[in-house]
Amino acid sequence: MSAMSLKSILAATVITAGAGMTSVVAQTFPAKPVEMTVLFGGTAQTIGQLLADLMSKELGQPLVPVARTGGGGSVGYQHVHSASADGYSIVWNSNSISTNYHGGKINFDYKAFKPIAKISIEVPALAVSASSGWKTVADMVKDIKTSGKKLKIGASGKGSFTHLTTVALLDSLGLAEQTLHVPYDQGKAPVELLAGRIDAALQWPGQFLSHAKAGTINILCVTSNKRVSEAPDVPTCDEAGAKGLNITMWRGLAAPANTPDDVIAKLEAAAKKAVASEAFVKASKTVGFEPAYADRKEFGNEIAADDKQIADLMKKLGLKQ
Amino acid sequence: MDAVLNAFALALTPAALLATTVGTLLGLVFGAVPGLTFTVALALVLPLTFSLSVAPAVGMLLGTYIGGMTGGSVSSILVGIPGTPSAAATVLDGYPMARQGKASLAMGTAVIVSTFGGLFSLVIMMVSVDAVAKLALKFGPAEIFALVLFGLSTICGLSEKSLLKGMIAGILGLLVMTIGLDDIDGVQRLTFGTVTLQQGISLLVAMIAMFAVPHVVEAFVDYYRGQEQRMRSADVRMELPRLADLGKHFWLMVRCSILGTGIGAIPGTGGPIAAFLAYSHAQKYSNETVPYGKGALGGIVAPEAANNAVTGGAMIPMLSLGIPGDPATAIILSGLLIHGLAPGPMLFIEHIDKVYMIYVAVIISYIAILFIQLLGIRYFVQLLRIPAHMLAVGIIVMCGFGAYSVRNSVFDVYTLAVLGVASWGLMRANIPLTPIILGLVLGPTLEREFRTALVLSEGSFAIFVSSFPAALFLALSAFVFIMPLIRALRGRKKPAAGESQTHA
Repeated sequence: MSAMSLKSILAATVITAGAGMTSVVAQTFPAKPVEMTVLFGGTAQTIGQLLADLMSKELGQPLVPVARTGGGGSVGYQHVHSASADGYSIVWNSNSISTNYHGGKINFDYKAFKPIAKISIEVPALAVSASSGWKTVADMVKDIKTSGKKLKIGASGKGSFTHLTTVALLDSLGLAEQTLHVPYDQGKAPVELLAGRIDAALQWPGQFLSHAKAGTINILCVTSNKRVSEAPDVPTCDEAGAKGLNITMWRGLAAPANTPDDVIAKLEAAAKKAVASEAFVKASKTVGFEPAYADRKEFGNEIAADDKQIADLMKKLGLKQ
Repeated sequence: MDAVLNAFALALTPAALLATTVGTLLGLVFGAVPGLTFTVALALVLPLTFSLSVAPAVGMLLGTYIGGMTGGSVSSILVGIPGTPSAAATVLDGYPMARQGKASLAMGTAVIVSTFGGLFSLVIMMVSVDAVAKLALKFGPAEIFALVLFGLSTICGLSEKSLLKGMIAGILGLLVMTIGLDDIDGVQRLTFGTVTLQQGISLLVAMIAMFAVPHVVEAFVDYYRGQEQRMRSADVRMELPRLADLGKHFWLMVRCSILGTGIGAIPGTGGPIAAFLAYSHAQKYSNETVPYGKGALGGIVAPEAANNAVTGGAMIPMLSLGIPGDPATAIILSGLLIHGLAPGPMLFIEHIDKVYMIYVAVIISYIAILFIQLLGIRYFVQLLRIPAHMLAVGIIVMCGFGAYSVRNSVFDVYTLAVLGVASWGLMRANIPLTPIILGLVLGPTLEREFRTALVLSEGSFAIFVSSFPAALFLALSAFVFIMPLIRALRGRKKPAAGESQTHA
């Protein structure tokens, strides 16, 4: 802890000393490649690489995505947190900043970073095997309640985002006592559903869509309060009976807290153009995410609100440290 | 038929051919250099494919994947360090062959057998994608656990000299992999409160450390003692496998290709497991004059056929169910998604021409491999002319680079040093290193599937015997563990199949 505060004092001194120079810095920014730390593989990596590609064109310098996966994102956050706050080291972040902090994996929270822009959201979906005969959330709830059996539901490991979403959803459906959480690697949910080893799964709709079209899996609801464009026929969980539920996974860009504002503004502008580009919108449909640009101010407010929601959920589950 | 013609037209355009060949070459290079893997190559190639049209993009990704899987054998054979985890089993006989001056024979065999394995799995995929995908569905956590345990039981075969030392080594390997974040409960293990250790030990880094560092240290020691054993240039002769040699191993090749395809199709397993299982299978049913571990040709045929057959196998769940089998296929999957090809059952209905195009790209890639590698062998073997201590410097530098590049983390470079020196100590203490590698490769899967199975069954162990595949593989593992004991009791010890497999 003392090392931490020493570091921030040092950083503060450097920033104050350099305060007069920021405008000069910003005029020339970026004068060299900007490094964007990517925390996860899969969709995060795919969107991140595409975004970096598009933003490089706007910035006039390459924005280089560098994978620092591991520790559920902690390693990457730690890296950017201790990088110099000059805008040349930014992080492709997500709700994981809150799950990691409240889960005791890192000792700094979202306030250690300055938001640049929100880029996209991904909305988890609840799916069941078609052979279960459940066509709606109500079918599932009724069946489980009358049979008295436990609902085996697959999501990622304990304390992960999909796990927390599962808990919030089932809690609101009144099934909290009758569930068995089965931890799975991200990609495996459809297999386990098709094989009948679990009753339901909460994962990204992209994994279920092809199966849903083929008629082997039913997607029951999505956890946001608006329907998603990839699956417009699927109701929201709120419509389907989980009143007031609105959970989405956001992704965006952030920089160390002391990064000068004018540098942030340049990155924000580049991000805005990239998200609006045709290539990005087209990719969103096939990769399975929704472009959701928000400027740094709005993004900051959303992160803070989200952090509170996650903290409350984790406290309830006894996972908060 | 239209779809097939269409597929050929797409995959055989100059741009697509070029992209596939470039991808293959890149994969070969990344696979062949110890420390650089084709997963890294794929991550580098992916952004390049964004601006390409579908056929070249898919060709480039598949070429990189397949080239990488094949390239791993080059450094396994030449310097005794696997280029990729999948090629670790190839070291066991490939490196001894190189030391006997038969490097080109070993490499030639590896290339031909790899191509056979890869194309074999492609044919299986073409004719029975649905059936195999259905079979793979039967493998849940309990079944995968049993299969992986069976893989682990091959430790017994790999440590004939001392089962006890083999067990010690295997368990060390299992232990190392528990460091880091536990995905199931989200808790930290052996991290001592640091963020850095949360990332755990990278399998690849551990593997480079175990194979490369002891090697390098020994090369320096020999040099300073003046016992340097330089490869005589006369030993580096050019010799390709004869048809008769391959014919003798034809059925082994077929069996290992089937095994590789099957294992590749089960999500959560992969190349290293397939290669080790194939190796131990070959060893058990060997009737060769050269003992295994001493440069037997079958010791190259088995793992190389199996690990390349994994490529076709892994594409079955990826294309038909949309489930990536390993990190490499996950990157290919995102490449397909970017180009609007969402894998899953509908891919075969809506985009069957694209599926055929993928098949054609795989074939092109193997043709490229055959040409590049067979022509390249005469240049690869020149590496052996470099004095061992100088080669060692180059190797350690590459390994440092490679370790860093896996996760862009300096921590991994330190891990390389610490684990490397530790492995050298173990080697000196006559603890065999191969079982450690098996522990490293299989440990995380073994633990995850075991625990997930118990979550599913709410704590009942009956889940491990209630399905046929699980019960079968458990029985087989038990058989393999118990056999040496029975043999010992009967006092009819199998004649020692040569020295220990300590380290190549």
